[in-house]
Amino acid sequence: MALLAVENVYKSFQGFLALAGVSLEVAEGSFHALVGPNGAGKTTLFNVITGRFPPDRGSVIFQGKPITGWPTHRVARLGLAISFQRAQPFASMKVREAVTLARLGYAGATFHLLRPLGAFTEALDAAREALAKVGLEDQADRRVSELPLGDLKRLDVAMALVAKPKLLLLDEPLAGLSRAERRRMVGFIRELLRREGVTLLFTEHDTEAVLELADRITVLHQGRVLVEGNPEEIRHDVQVRAAFLGGTA
Amino acid sequence: MRLGLLFLGLLLLGPILSEYGLKLVSEALILGLYAMAFNLLFHQAGLLSFGQAAFFGVGAYAMALLVSRAGWPFLATLPVAVLASALVAFIIGFLSIRLTRIYFTMLTLAFAQLLYAVAHKWYAFTGGDNGITDLRPAGILGESLPFYYLTLLLFALGVGFLAALERSPFGYALRGLRDNRARAEAVGVDGFRHLLLAFVLSGALSGVAGFLQGALQRSVFPDYLFWTRSAEAIISTILGGSGVFLGPAVGAAAFLFLRVLVQANTEYWPFFLGLLLLVMVLFFPRGLAGVWENLAGWVARGVRRGAAGG
Ligand SMILES: Nc1ncnc2c1ncn2[C@@H]1O[C@H](COP(=O)(O)OP(=O)(O)OP(=O)(O)O)[C@@H](O)[C@H]1O
Ligand SMILES: [Mg+2]
Repeated sequence: MALLAVENVYKSFQGFLALAGVSLEVAEGSFHALVGPNGAGKTTLFNVITGRFPPDRGSVIFQGKPITGWPTHRVARLGLAISFQRAQPFASMKVREAVTLARLGYAGATFHLLRPLGAFTEALDAAREALAKVGLEDQADRRVSELPLGDLKRLDVAMALVAKPKLLLLDEPLAGLSRAERRRMVGFIRELLRREGVTLLFTEHDTEAVLELADRITVLHQGRVLVEGNPEEIRHDVQVRAAFLGGTA
Repeated sequence: MRLGLLFLGLLLLGPILSEYGLKLVSEALILGLYAMAFNLLFHQAGLLSFGQAAFFGVGAYAMALLVSRAGWPFLATLPVAVLASALVAFIIGFLSIRLTRIYFTMLTLAFAQLLYAVAHKWYAFTGGDNGITDLRPAGILGESLPFYYLTLLLFALGVGFLAALERSPFGYALRGLRDNRARAEAVGVDGFRHLLLAFVLSGALSGVAGFLQGALQRSVFPDYLFWTRSAEAIISTILGGSGVFLGPAVGAAAFLFLRVLVQANTEYWPFFLGLLLLVMVLFFPRGLAGVWENLAGWVARGVRRGAAGG
């Protein structure tokens, strides 16, 4: 059974059809890439999956349970964590605080009114661990507002990882990173997530990284699934060259 | 620690204050608590409520009605005042929090004005614009010094609670929602329920302030619910600075003392207030408390530089 199934999802914005009947299955333990040109509807599909807005039609099924139209916080607590394309973690906090809050959020444990955040040692430990995974452990006491974009991106990923998610959604995890940072992030995603058995659904414009990381690729174009297959098949698909690779490959 | 010193200072201040001084400082503490409650929503949660007078007024009227109509002892009305204002906040919050920004602000204003209209017109129950008078608490709380200590106690409890709240997971969740609501919800924070609880807590603390103010003034009038009351919380917060924890309380004290000073000498208090707010917003957006922090920073740096130079 697929960990996540998206069935015939439609979503339009003021008459503009952003998703026109998208179906997708993410197998447990797989690294599934969602690719396509700008405006293809990738982020919109992520938003539908995480409940940021409900689809006009169609359904989202996670672990065999329909979660269509669930509010975002409930979806997150099921173990479905996301890192956003535009990483804007909590700007008024320190790095450690943002990740600790995330940990408590996933656990539904933010209704403590009197104990200080610093007394939640289990959450602090989990935060430290997640920061170490993305290589930000020595930045834990910095203000989020002082971080450069590359670090913000990694912090946002840490805020997803700290959930110990069953399904991790990464929306363009390499966007805005320098070449060195990209290599590092790709290596990190491959080794670490494999070791922990996390299932990954991600979007990325970096073709090289996609072909390196993914074992399943879905190509989205103008709100429709153009083709789906393993990296080898996709690489040789002519249609895809036109839409996704833009003829450069 | 710093809070403890502040409370201790205010405790020791009691016996040296004149009758008039006690009344003035009590009023500053009450307005301070009210403004701090407003700022829980404004600064931490990022919600501009223009309807705080609703909770202030409900707390005051709950006290006044029970004392004057049902003969309850003054202190016994405190839990009812808290619960009544919390309940009203729950209802208003439930209906307005789903709306965004300006609509939220307008709706809170509308609800407060609605309650004002009710208090104003419902003579049989509230006495209309005759208000409810003769509310001097029986026993020693009718005297200025014991009443000052009661006010100080409730102020300290309220401010201590807000200080703890700011550092708690709940406080962080509110800040997360303010910084980036979509991100906060994506890490499992239920935005609506957190904001609603913040609204209720802010309402309850405002109710405590109203409860005290009614007893201090010995009377409650519909203007307790009028929008200018809501504005007083906002003005105090702008004056003192919303970004510093005690800023709104500092602003409340400054607001009252300036009003007394200006009103004693001229008739142009609203003009002065307007000018002052303009100067604060344009030149000192972090408020008086922000100015103080800057000064302290300069002094500290100056001392260090001086020491290094010497
Ligand atoms: N909230 C919204 N309101 C209106 N239009 C939207 C909204 N979100 C997305 N769209 C539109 O839907 C289409 C798909 O956008 P989406 O962000 O999903 O694309 P994408 O595949 O993620 O692109 P990119 O690679 O640039 O991130 C775009 O035309 C976009 O303008
Ligand atoms: Mg996108």
